[in-house]
Amino acid sequence: MGVPYVPVVGLIGTDLLTRRDDMVVAVDPFDGKTKSVVAKAMTPDIAVFHAVAADRHGNVSCGYDSEAVILAEASGHVVVTAERIVDHIGEKDAQGTFIPGIHVDSVVHAPFGAHPGGCTGFYGQDKIHMRDYVITSKDDESFAEYIRAHVFEVQNHADYIERFVPLDWRQPARAAGA
Amino acid sequence: MTVNYSDDELMAILLSREVRDGEVSACGALSHIPAAALLLAQATHAPNAQLIILDSIFYPFRTSKQFHFLAQRGELGLFFVSGVQIDRHGNYNLHQLGADHDHPKMRFPGGYGGGMIYYGAQRTVVFRTEHTKRTFVDKVDYISAAASTPPDVLRRGSPSKIISTKASFRFDKGDGLLHLDAIHPGYSFDDIRDSTGFDIGTATPAATPAPTEQELHTLRHAVRTKMIDTGTYAAWASRALAAHVAAVT
Repeated sequence: MGVPYVPVVGLIGTDLLTRRDDMVVAVDPFDGKTKSVVAKAMTPDIAVFHAVAADRHGNVSCGYDSEAVILAEASGHVVVTAERIVDHIGEKDAQGTFIPGIHVDSVVHAPFGAHPGGCTGFYGQDKIHMRDYVITSKDDESFAEYIRAHVFEVQNHADYIERFVPLDWRQPARAAGA
Repeated sequence: MTVNYSDDELMAILLSREVRDGEVSACGALSHIPAAALLLAQATHAPNAQLIILDSIFYPFRTSKQFHFLAQRGELGLFFVSGVQIDRHGNYNLHQLGADHDHPKMRFPGGYGGGMIYYGAQRTVVFRTEHTKRTFVDKVDYISAAASTPPDVLRRGSPSKIISTKASFRFDKGDGLLHLDAIHPGYSFDDIRDSTGFDIGTATPAATPAPTEQELHTLRHAVRTKMIDTGTYAAWASRALAAHVAAVT
């Protein structure tokens, strides 16, 4: 939205407010007395999210309903990874949320880019991987090991797919969403 | 005659009685009991209730921003929420156990959403499937949502009731405290006093009207079928709302 903060009805009296410095109690500037919370705007330098399709002008079809358009508007540099890169996407072609290219800086062709999460119409969540992820995230040591194996020791995206995306997901029929 | 029912069925029925016809009523994530309660209310006394069940086909919005501002405007009549702990002031905790906030004994998903809706919805009913001294406490370890606010704070609504498997409490805006409102069938005043971590006074309140055969029948048939057919907590509905399950619970 580009505004510095947004008022929120609620949260006063919670410990959430005592733990966060980006939400404070403020007095209504118009009536001079009513209190509500104001939340500081978030302005990420970079946003990265995955979509079903993008074109080379940065128009994006998320494939699902999402708040990603807010994220794209708020962020300085926006990178969209997509299952498919197509010639042209207009608002009427988009499935789910459409993000106009004006908000997007880079598009990356990244099949299975949502893995181990799912991507609408292409593949679901990798439940076995997710279960392991939850187990490894229980302590710092095993989580560091997860990050090492799945991020730092992976050479590139193709290498990640080769190592971690289930083989039967990579058959053409499955990849096309059949 | 005695009617058998499970705790889950009792809770769904008691929550459904809180739904008013024509109002917008909602529940959030991981809310199978409230989801059943909403559908039961719509199938019985509130045919014109407008339901919002997150992550289901009973969700009319494209983005959570729309739901956020519905609550902010005060257009949400009723919201169902649960907490790990609930205290005598009607505050609930959905964040963490342990009073040292930097080193909690256990951390939960938390919830900005509930903490906002507690002030935005006209009424919130807090439900809890465990009624013990560790869940009904004198003071919560972490206030995820506060029941009372000073008069100069903008607030649309307040909690109305807290409902457990044993009893229900009414929240009094005047003194800012929970008051024992009704005791469910099968429990005595002493049972409630012994399982509640705060003073419940001395007056024995009314008995909660037992689930009726019609409520149970509708829950176990029409509601169960609807939940299974629409994929709304289908696995839970199939298991927990089957008549033969209650008999062995």
